[in-house]
Amino acid sequence: MPHSKDVLEHQYLEMRWRTLSLAADLDRIGRCENGPQTLRNDARLQKLRKALEILTSDGGQDRAERVQMIFSDMTPPPK
Amino acid sequence: MKFIDPHIHCVSRTTDDYLFMARAGVVAVSEPAFWAGYDRSSAASFADYFRHLMEVEPKRAARYGIQHYCWLCINAKEAENVSLAREVIKLIPPLLDHPLVLGVGEIGLNKNTRNEITIFEEQVEIAAKHDQMILIHTPHLEDKHKGTSIITSILKNDKRIKPERVLIDHCEEHTIRMARDNGFWAGLTIYPVSKVTPARGADILEQFGPHMICVNSASDWGESSPSMLVDTALEYRRRGHSEREVADVFYDNPCRFFGQGGKWKLKPETSI
Repeated sequence: MPHSKDVLEHQYLEMRWRTLSLAADLDRIGRCENGPQTLRNDARLQKLRKALEILTSDGGQDRAERVQMIFSDMTPPPK
Repeated sequence: MKFIDPHIHCVSRTTDDYLFMARAGVVAVSEPAFWAGYDRSSAASFADYFRHLMEVEPKRAARYGIQHYCWLCINAKEAENVSLAREVIKLIPPLLDHPLVLGVGEIGLNKNTRNEITIFEEQVEIAAKHDQMILIHTPHLEDKHKGTSIITSILKNDKRIKPERVLIDHCEEHTIRMARDNGFWAGLTIYPVSKVTPARGADILEQFGPHMICVNSASDWGESSPSMLVDTALEYRRRGHSEREVADVFYDNPCRFFGQGGKWKLKPETSI
């Protein structure tokens, strides 16, 4: 099992890049017509906000699975 | 090292991709029947497509020293047209004895509609009646969890289906348990964009263990690459797993799954 610091060292710049990309995506949407309203109200972005809460939470080692479930459809199958 | 890509759509790839695979050590592939990048207008188009899978691609692959096998079905996307789908399904049974046809696949769901479910059930019936292995397509982004749940429920409720002869493909972190905990094989499809990356693929292998998992590139008409298979193997190796452990996942596991049908020629190099 590698040390966590070694894994972080390997991944950190890419993690930083991914975070910046997401920030720039949100800025781009925000600059468009109705941008602030879309950022505030769009259901997809609300799910994204919930996912970000999981990313920044301390607990558990199953963040990827929990994020997957936020984006999953839990309605019953068609009749 | 030698690799097997258990799921790749060679009909949509160039000879450069075959050359890349050969250089990278890919010695065999399996190609499920799938969407051609457009909806076909008649069952005759599928008859030609099946001939392409059974005759043309094996010859193309052989030029690069790669063994090519295939699976036959109507895919979930075109299954929405039920009358066309039923015409295509009639073509399949006489072809199942072909020495390069591994079974029925990739059947499954795309948008989880009633029509897709109907045609999925009818193709499960064909597989059960003809004692065929099954390769399952699960929806990609909307909605994988729901689609996988519907598919596994249908398969579990059919007592003729042996789960170990079914591979549930395109599993991700939230669906892999549904496959393996029910005794099915699980497929991980690795993409350069938008879906499971080589790093996440290696994470899943480490978190869930490599037993009954096949890793593939599913390279097709969209943004995808045969290199994803080898890139995932390299990522797994980079994390300290031995060459033997890499071979167990990327060569032996496909041989174990495919070998159940009696047509696949390559054998696993170690027993588990």
